[in-house]
Formats: sequence, structure tokens, C-alpha cells
Amino acid sequence: MVDATRLDLANEFLDAIQEGNEEHADEVLAMIAAERESRLFEEIGKLTRQLHDSLSSVRAESDLAGIAEHEIPDAKERLNFVIEKTEEAANKTMDVVEEILPVSETIRTRAGQLQEDWSRFQRREMDVDEFKKMGGELVDFLGELTRNSDTIHSGLNNILMAQDFQDITGQVIRKVIQVVQEVEDSLVGLIRATGVQATPKKVVSEVEAEGPQMNAEDKDNVVNDQDDVDDLLSSLGF
Amino acid sequence: MNKDMKILIVDDFSTMRRIIKNLLRDLGFTNTDEADDGQTALPKLEAGGFDFLVTDWNMPGMQGIDLLKAVRAHPELKDLPVLMVTAESKREQIVEAAQAGVNGYVVKPFTAGTLKEKIDKIFERIETPA
Repeated sequence: MVDATRLDLANEFLDAIQEGNEEHADEVLAMIAAERESRLFEEIGKLTRQLHDSLSSVRAESDLAGIAEHEIPDAKERLNFVIEKTEEAANKTMDVVEEILPVSETIRTRAGQLQEDWSRFQRREMDVDEFKKMGGELVDFLGELTRNSDTIHSGLNNILMAQDFQDITGQVIRKVIQVVQEVEDSLVGLIRATGVQATPKKVVSEVEAEGPQMNAEDKDNVVNDQDDVDDLLSSLGF
Repeated sequence: MNKDMKILIVDDFSTMRRIIKNLLRDLGFTNTDEADDGQTALPKLEAGGFDFLVTDWNMPGMQGIDLLKAVRAHPELKDLPVLMVTAESKREQIVEAAQAGVNGYVVKPFTAGTLKEKIDKIFERIETPA
């Protein structure tokens, strides 16, 4: 829509031409041009301000350089700590298991032997000397059983205590997730501000190791369990 | 199946090697050795004496799939039974391993029962060829 000022100026221009007042006509024309120019400058001003605002908001909100310099190395350190802690817990647990397995094996062997002796005694196949010997062995075994139970008990307690890694590593991993979230937000902000178009991901052709799959049940090309593996292999003639 | 057979366990995580070693011992196999990736495993295999290879896939240096291919391409090792025990669970990866000539494929996390079943199956097949 033509606003009142421009319409007035146009009419004035027409009048001046019709009256043959060339000088005034030029004056009016210059006024029209000046008005146009001032609108253009206003637009450029607006754009400049917008650009400045978005650039400084990118700088303020997404301190990518800061994240790269401090938080990423920090996250790496934290994740290494998680590896350390989980390895430590696994080794502690396995130490105990390796300690207890032979103990339980001994108990089983000794108990089996005594059970057999006892059956022989009940069938009256045992003489007095053998019976006395069994009595001695039974007392030994009960003493041993008490000591072994203590070993098993403290071992199980150690296994229990070794699980404390879950709490610590959980907290550390949560921190790292937070950093990843910050990086993601910053990158999204940067892309919005600069208008960079995301290019499609490079297609990986070779079969590469990927480690454990997250949310495997939502992915068609991933097996869910050993049964799926067996089905797939048998379909290949295995 | 010969319980004295020599088994090489290849995994980059010492805890996983230890778990597999303990499970194998529980199954009666006590003659085991360890390597932490394909690069350290291959010279051990080439030195001879191994009857069975249990390997992970994802390892730094030489990956399990490349170790499998190297074993199959090796004139003296090509018939060595190989069991892959790995977290790699994409269908194309399992197909790749099968094509490379793996004898069994176990996905982590696994149970002692699964490990025993696969080992039994591998040696059943080797001892009674079709």
C-alpha cells in the first residue's frame, strides 16, 4: 500500500510537471528518493543488529572453545576413571570367587566322604575302630566347616562391597552425559546461527566393530540375544 | 573332546579374559593362554600347540575378525577351531564372521551354559564330520 506521504509527494510531482515547473518537480523527485533511501538504511540497520545479536548469543550460550578446552578432556578423564573403577570391582569380585571355589570344592568332597561312611555305619558295615576314626573325622570336618563358612562369609561381604563402583561410576557417567548434552546444544545453536546445512553422513561400507549396541530391540539389523545369533547362523547353513 | 587341549583366549579386557578362563576351567579346560589382541595372538598361534581359539571382535591393534581371517589364510592354522565371543551384534557382522569361517559365535553378555553348548557343538562337529 502506498502511504499518505508518498501519495502526497506523487501528486505534488504530477502537479509540478503539469504546471511546467521543472525545478519543483526535481525537488519532489529528490524527496521521494530520499525517503526510499532512509527505508533501505533502516532495513540494513535492522539486519546488522540481528546479525550482531545472533553472533554474540552464539558466543555467550555456546562456549564451544571452552568446552573443547576444559570439559572434553575432563570427560575423558572421568570415563577413564569409570574403566578403572569397573575393572577394579571385577577383579576384586573374581579374586574372592577364585578364593572361595576351592573352599566349596573341599567342603563337598569331605561331606560326600562322611556321608558315605555314615551310610556304611547305618548298614552295620563298620567296626569299632573305623567308627572311632569317623567320629574324629566328623569333629575335624565340623571345625573346618566353621572356618570355611567364615571364609565364605567374609568373601561374600567383599563381593558385596565391590559393588560400590555402581554408585560412583553412575554419578560420573551422568556428569559426562551432561557435557555431551551441552556440546549438542551448542552445535545446534551454532548451526542455527550460521545456517550451515547438515550434509548426510558418510556411508560406511566395511563391516566395522561397533561395541555393544544400545537399544538393540529397536534396531532391525541387530540381534537381541544368543537365540537370534543361532537362528541367523543356522539360516546360513551352520 | 580332549580336556587337555590348549586354548588361546584373546580379549583386550583382562577381566573378560579372566572370566572366560574361569568358565573354561569350570568346564574342565585348564590348559589356557591369553593375548590382548590379534597382533599379540597371531605370533602365539604361529608358535604352535594351540587346539582352540576363543576371541573377541572389537580390540585395538588387530581386531578379532582380522585375526580370524589371518588364521584361515595361514597354511598351518587354517583348520584351527575359532569361537568368537563378542558384543558385536549386528546381523551383517555375524554374517561376515560366518563367511570368514568362524566355528561358533557367542554374543556378550553370555552365560556359562551358552559357552559350554557352543564349545560342545564345535567339537562334536569336528569329531564327527558330515
